[in-house]
Amino acid sequence: MTITWTDWQATAVPLLLALGAVAVLLIDGFWRTGTKQLKHTVITLITGGVILFGLVFVMSQRDAFKPAFCRTAVEGPAECSLVLEPLTIGLWAVLLIGGLGVVGLSAYRLLSADIPVGEYHFLLLSALVGATVLAGARDLATVVIALEVVSLPSFAMVALRRDRRGSEAALKAFLVSVLSTAVMLFGISYLYGVTGSLYLQTIATRMPGIDPDLRRVAFAAGLFVIVGFGFKIAAVPFHGWLPDTYSGAPVEVTAFLAVVSKSAGVAGLLVLVTFGVAPSGSDLRIVVAILAAVTMTVGNLAALRQVEAVRLLAWSSIGQVGFLLAPLAVGDAQAVVAYLAAYVVVTLGAFGAVAVVQRHRPGGLFLSDYRGMVRSEPGLGVALVFFLMVLAGLPPGLAGLFTKFAAFQAVIDAHYGWLALVMALNVMIGLAVYLRWVAELFRLPADDPFSVNIESPAVGVISLCAGAAVVLSILPGTLFALAG
Amino acid sequence: MSLLLIALLAVPALTAAVLWALPAGTGDRVAAIVGSVVSGGVLVGSAVLWWDLVRPHCPCTYRLESFLGPPPRTLPGKIYAYAETDISWIPELDVRFHLGIDTISMPLIALTALLVFLCCLYSLRITPRAGRTRSLIALLLIIETGVIGTFSALDLVLFFLFFEVVLIPMWLVIDIWGDEHDRAGRRRAATTFVLMTVLGSAVMLLGFLLVHRQAGTFDLEVLGENPVAGGHGIALVAAVLIAVGLAVKMPLWPLHIWLPDAHAKAPTVGSVLLAGVLLKLGSYGMIRILLPVLPDATATIAPYLAGFSTVAIIAGSLACLAQTDVKRLIAYSSVGHMGFIGLGIATMSPEGLAGALYANIAHGIITGLLFFLAGGIKDRHDTSDLRTIGRALYARLPRLSGLLTFACLASLGLPGLAGFWGEMLILLGAYHPGDSLPRTTFLVLMVIAGLGAVLTAAYFLRLIRQLCQGDPADNPATAFAVDVSRIELITWAPLIVLTVLLGLWPFTLLDYWTFS
Repeated sequence: MTITWTDWQATAVPLLLALGAVAVLLIDGFWRTGTKQLKHTVITLITGGVILFGLVFVMSQRDAFKPAFCRTAVEGPAECSLVLEPLTIGLWAVLLIGGLGVVGLSAYRLLSADIPVGEYHFLLLSALVGATVLAGARDLATVVIALEVVSLPSFAMVALRRDRRGSEAALKAFLVSVLSTAVMLFGISYLYGVTGSLYLQTIATRMPGIDPDLRRVAFAAGLFVIVGFGFKIAAVPFHGWLPDTYSGAPVEVTAFLAVVSKSAGVAGLLVLVTFGVAPSGSDLRIVVAILAAVTMTVGNLAALRQVEAVRLLAWSSIGQVGFLLAPLAVGDAQAVVAYLAAYVVVTLGAFGAVAVVQRHRPGGLFLSDYRGMVRSEPGLGVALVFFLMVLAGLPPGLAGLFTKFAAFQAVIDAHYGWLALVMALNVMIGLAVYLRWVAELFRLPADDPFSVNIESPAVGVISLCAGAAVVLSILPGTLFALAG
Repeated sequence: MSLLLIALLAVPALTAAVLWALPAGTGDRVAAIVGSVVSGGVLVGSAVLWWDLVRPHCPCTYRLESFLGPPPRTLPGKIYAYAETDISWIPELDVRFHLGIDTISMPLIALTALLVFLCCLYSLRITPRAGRTRSLIALLLIIETGVIGTFSALDLVLFFLFFEVVLIPMWLVIDIWGDEHDRAGRRRAATTFVLMTVLGSAVMLLGFLLVHRQAGTFDLEVLGENPVAGGHGIALVAAVLIAVGLAVKMPLWPLHIWLPDAHAKAPTVGSVLLAGVLLKLGSYGMIRILLPVLPDATATIAPYLAGFSTVAIIAGSLACLAQTDVKRLIAYSSVGHMGFIGLGIATMSPEGLAGALYANIAHGIITGLLFFLAGGIKDRHDTSDLRTIGRALYARLPRLSGLLTFACLASLGLPGLAGFWGEMLILLGAYHPGDSLPRTTFLVLMVIAGLGAVLTAAYFLRLIRQLCQGDPADNPATAFAVDVSRIELITWAPLIVLTVLLGLWPFTLLDYWTFS
């Protein structure tokens, strides 16, 4: 493959993140003097600074169209491997905001002391590199490589706390991921065999014209690719690893998995579905729609029975993925990005609140540990109620309401009535899930109400998330402007 | 841009935020006073808005009428918006912040403001045992914002949004301040209420989105001008979805199962607002959205709607006959009354529609009063079980039981009181249903509904007989109980006066609703 031309601005953000990752690792390795606090703060600042710079750069590139690693094609326009366009901008913004939030949640005294700081931030930045490349990728090889670059650091992060639960969680996620990669590669090889190209754009143009005998092979190949991603984003029935992994990892890492890793998977699937593998009218879209319906229903129903906060968030995040898959199945990128953005902001906030409770209350895993928090710890309690209402999609959480609304609109406009009915049912089940938690928060305080001095970085991150969620609730238009 | 209407929405919500922001040590009394003052202000504001709506505007309207003759016959429920605010909110989703009122919504807004004001006033002295009055008042004010917003929304999405605003606060009101003897029961009641309603509103949203797909707009004014034609296909599906969604809220049989528990377990002020105001969101939605936006499709489903409404009348009345709990009995009577309103809407005739609107207001006032009275009885006896309370309330609490008898008579539709005119007009409407509807069906339904009215009389008389009459010697007072206190008299008096006024001068309101 001969690379003919590249607009380097399109690769600026992943490159910057990769440089940041190396810098963090070097600083950690050569840091000898000074306190642990100083080291941690410096590393946090560098990581946060790199991500923030990327975010500013992305925002300055709005409405840009910058392809990279392109070559002229025999037919049609040039084939490119990485494209910076409004959709990429929106996805990158979401991913970087998520990464920034996780960095904030991992500041000094928040991250548990037995986790090595340098490695943690290195892995985080590396995963972000993969995530950003994945969102901009336009050929299957890049997609696979980027996906691996997201995944491998994730397992390492899960296993960073070297105890039994952590190792088990990491191993589970790792095995599932290897399996999913194998399945996906299998599908990709068939796709290449059928269409003769790895470029999504070329696949999409050649797909309608292929030999009718090969149609079924192409369908199976697309199915395998989607199933591979189904493992990554934990769509039902490929979700078995998620609850154990979420509850086994440190809370910050769980937040990372729920926010960055999951968004990356959704971004990759969005790129694949809208640009190549499943063009509009393809049967594969129906497969994704069925996946969406099953995922949201199973996730929400299972979440109804959870008594631990993190497990509830884990299962309900499966339900949220189902809602994300619905507009994805009909190819409405704008609705997907908006939903993802709202989800990322409030999930970060919710995990931030959970982290505070778990840090200050040993064994405080259960919903009953949150009893009376609106009274005893009003700031945190009210913020958590607000986050949960956004996740449920009810006033006052208008950001969640309107992103769900956009998902409904996309599905209805694409004539998927049955999916819309399943979604309506799931709005109810989802509300039941979050109301159990909200009810605990609103009860009268128990014997030992939860009231502590919350560390200022945690206060900062949670307030930022709450503030962002409020702004997005008043001006939901900004969510939909993200992806063009 | 109408600042007054926006203030009616914003002031209660902002006050609620201020109440929550006050330090927890602030007395409950202060909160109740603040709530009363603010909701009183909202009531005054809505009265001013009403006057502004109906006062003769400059002579130009007269001139127009004399040139063009009387205005053309219009679709019932179509909006002639006044005090409009129309701002683009989310252009990507085609959502506008479009508010406005007309003579259909204005009386309902005033009713809301009145009932919330009375509830706050009532809370000055009488509060649920769970305490936390500050939060209770704040939630009542948020409910007020949501309800007034629903009544003044001119955009389908905005309607949906305000419709949902009410849910969580009402859930909290039932869950926290509900029946203190039955914790699991009140939790179950609250959750059933919120889940069924949210499912209903999600289904309704699907209907709205189908309307948008057909018509390309959510704006009720535009949709009123260009209704979605056709009585089958997508339009029919949209109408069914919207009707089902609203029927959950209203509630129509068989979607009423959340109602008895929610009303019975809620605290007094919660029951009053649930029955007096929240149920009206459903019937208002049917009049405002179903009839003008989907006229043909509504005509297709109208006989079914009427049938379910008639079943609701009979089923509600029969259920009432079997109740042993005074709050549950009144709750089931609401099912019957809302059935009448559903029948009136389904006739699609001017009489039936005017009757439905009138019954809406009358039911809000009378059932509000009934729930206040039932709450009073419950507070005095610490139970609402008829068997435990015992009989001979006339002897023990003469004024309270007198008022209860009055409210029961009003509710069963005694001529001369508010409940009569609405139901009479609805039956008249069923006698002359809209042109496209099967008249025979409606005649049969009219007869059955008439029987339902008789049943209504039967169960209310049974209630009076079981509760109020009897030999005082056999039924000694079970608890220390005072008769009607001053605050109760103050809060109930407006409702009593309005019941009589609306019974004697129905045309003060009916004149607004001549649709042909």
